Amino acid sequence: MFGLIKTWKALEAKGIMGINRRNADYVLKYNKRSLYPIVDDKIITKQRAIDAGIHVPELYGIIETEKEIDKLNEIIGEHNDFVIKPAQGAGGDGITVIADRFEGRYKTVSGKIVTHEELEHQISSILTGLYSLGGHRDRALIEYRVTPDQIFKSISYEGVPDIRIIVLMGYPVMAMLRLPTRQSNGKANLHQGAIGVGVDLATGITLRGTWLNNKIVKHPDTNNAVDGVQLPNWDGFMKLAAGCYELCGLGYIGVDMVLDQDKGPLILELNARPGLNIQIANDCGLVHRTHAVEARLEELKKKGVKDSVEERVRFSQQLFGHVHPAES
Amino acid sequence: MRSLNLHLKVLITLLVTLGVLITAYQIFILGIPVTEDETDDLWNIDAKVEFQANPREPVKVQMFVPPLNQDYVSLNESFISNNYGVSVNRVDGNRRVTWSARRASGKQTLYYRLVLTKRYSGEQAKPKGPIFRDSIPVEGAEKIAAEALLAPIRQHSADVETFIGETIKRVNNANDDNVKLLMAGDASTPNKARIIELLLSIAHVPMERVHTIRLIGEQPQSPELWLRSFNGDKWLYFNPETGEQGMPADRLMWWIGDDPLVAVEGGKQAQVSFTLNNSEMNAIRLAKLTDENTDVDFLEYSLYGLPLSTQQTYQIMIMIPIGVLVILVLRNLIGIQTLGTFTPVLIALAFRETQLGFGIVLFTLITALGLSLRSYLEHLKLQMLPRLSVVLTFVVVLIAVISLLSHKLGLERGLSVALFPMVILTMTIERLSITWEERGGGHAMKVGVGTIIAASLAHVLMNVPELTYFVFTFPAVLLVLVGFMLAMGRYRGYRLTELFRFKAFLKD
Repeated sequence: MFGLIKTWKALEAKGIMGINRRNADYVLKYNKRSLYPIVDDKIITKQRAIDAGIHVPELYGIIETEKEIDKLNEIIGEHNDFVIKPAQGAGGDGITVIADRFEGRYKTVSGKIVTHEELEHQISSILTGLYSLGGHRDRALIEYRVTPDQIFKSISYEGVPDIRIIVLMGYPVMAMLRLPTRQSNGKANLHQGAIGVGVDLATGITLRGTWLNNKIVKHPDTNNAVDGVQLPNWDGFMKLAAGCYELCGLGYIGVDMVLDQDKGPLILELNARPGLNIQIANDCGLVHRTHAVEARLEELKKKGVKDSVEERVRFSQQLFGHVHPAES
Repeated sequence: MRSLNLHLKVLITLLVTLGVLITAYQIFILGIPVTEDETDDLWNIDAKVEFQANPREPVKVQMFVPPLNQDYVSLNESFISNNYGVSVNRVDGNRRVTWSARRASGKQTLYYRLVLTKRYSGEQAKPKGPIFRDSIPVEGAEKIAAEALLAPIRQHSADVETFIGETIKRVNNANDDNVKLLMAGDASTPNKARIIELLLSIAHVPMERVHTIRLIGEQPQSPELWLRSFNGDKWLYFNPETGEQGMPADRLMWWIGDDPLVAVEGGKQAQVSFTLNNSEMNAIRLAKLTDENTDVDFLEYSLYGLPLSTQQTYQIMIMIPIGVLVILVLRNLIGIQTLGTFTPVLIALAFRETQLGFGIVLFTLITALGLSLRSYLEHLKLQMLPRLSVVLTFVVVLIAVISLLSHKLGLERGLSVALFPMVILTMTIERLSITWEERGGGHAMKVGVGTIIAASLAHVLMNVPELTYFVFTFPAVLLVLVGFMLAMGRYRGYRLTELFRFKAFLKD
């Protein structure tokens, strides 16, 4: 009992955010329920992003009804690789990634050959709501297939690593690189076994990471050190994430981005209830940082001005960046 | 944000205060017992009247019965007699039962039975009584003796109360010559009462005889004589033997006045014997019984005013918030993950039918089988509604098979499963399988176990009889509960499991 109280105090001192605090002070306070569809439906997110001039994987087409499945060929056109996704899927379910064509058929990333009819059946399943939460009717989107930048080759296992930045009222607060592992089956979801690696907000250099609630230094599959890697185009990521506030209107979000080898930073999706393990990855609590941002907002409100995206990024980088990893 | 907090605080304070006040009012002002085990004495008084009837003569027996306008409440009253007509009438603050028969012969036995309790009486009427009377005429030596006795009494008393007390004390002094003369060798209580009345009448103090029965079990007894006098404000009771003032709590006033207890016409050797015994009864049931016999209506607007069958439903229903509270604490304070928010409460309700241990086994068995069916159906790529229908049908068949098997094996417990809500099971299976697919088997297991733990805990708590009684009797407690839930709505501390989840931070 006494040990627990000590743990509590220590966590509190480090500013670690718990689920109750996240929900009460941030999610409920800053995220209006009516805006949730913007982040829950990947098609709406994408269209908003396109309208706002924010980079997303190019949308090849949307299929809404069974009849429109006939247009699949037209939508794919000359593209050799593409991704089929349910608009409201969760946890990466129902996603088919086609890497190449093979004699009139398609080849998935894992090397499996599928026919055109099988693809059509897959889309039909998506439309009936097989992958959407609660089984609602859904839409299928066909989009550009992201090729991860070579930089991740050494510290990643299969799949597409993505970058998650927590953004409070447009101010980036904390960042993490998520690396799929053998255990997560190539998915970049932390509770499925992916690794989270902290990223310095100012420099874009990776810190140490977390795997299944533990702190780690090396990738369990590749055995390469995960820290000290310089992510390219880091300021681009920061601006992209900060701009997402204007995009969706939600005050507390997790922005998931990828680094495409040709197109640079792209927004994948937004999350209105971002997880808390990012704190372990960065070895740092969220509370102190969010309080600093809230103080800044208060100060600006008194002056009656608002920060631009660049100013917000600069503010966050100055205050939260340049962390010195603890000597091990 | 701050104004919202203030608003919430005010609301919580208001709800909790209201809940506590109402409950306190029920407990302290209305006197509703706090636990179900609280019992009250229930007195069963039998008066047996025996007499020898004269042949070929109509018989009429009159007996006083308690007037029942005091602190006692009668629950049941019966006159047991063969071939006798019975009528009860009120005379001068007394009640009198009259048994009559045209013809009776030989030994006759009549019974009067009264069941009463001392509780929940209504407002007392303001007592009224005489405060003046004429002197009883008395002559010669007796007059002189009486006046000789009265002189010191007057000196030693200040008011009616002390006057009577002093009088009784003097009369009980057997060595006093004046007393000896007045008593004329008869030291019985009625005679003493007669002399006390004489003395008091000379001082113009009115006095009445009160015949009481002592509420004590398993002891033959006859009515005990007490005296009472009205001092203008209330009745003062005196024991004519000791002069002690105030009637003990265990005395029941049977009748007032000089008449004998029983009067028989057409018979002789009338004899009345009393038998008393007491039993204990659940206080709230007693209150309900007395409620029918008195004008006390505090239970009228409680849940006890509902028909009995409805009450049973409400006894289950009113415990649901307790179950919900358990889930709230487990999820937000402890951090146990459960399937959905209130599924555990529904499962806990289902455990009512099956008992806990057996319920857990059944739940696990059916869910496991259902999950395997669900995963098989997954390969067929069915739409949600048909898929759910298949699972539900499967669950029904499964339950039927289990019932049949356990019945054949002689396990009657298995039959209870028939009422185990199937829709709850089906939804559990569906949700669990979705969790399985989205978050993996380990997580689904964790959630499943969490659900069982939460449901068991909620079930155990919802079935504590004392708690059920308390919440059912004092529903205002729910307001306090709501206050707590509101406060939980803005709880921002860590969950217990988070202390372990973030342990990594403390390693260096």
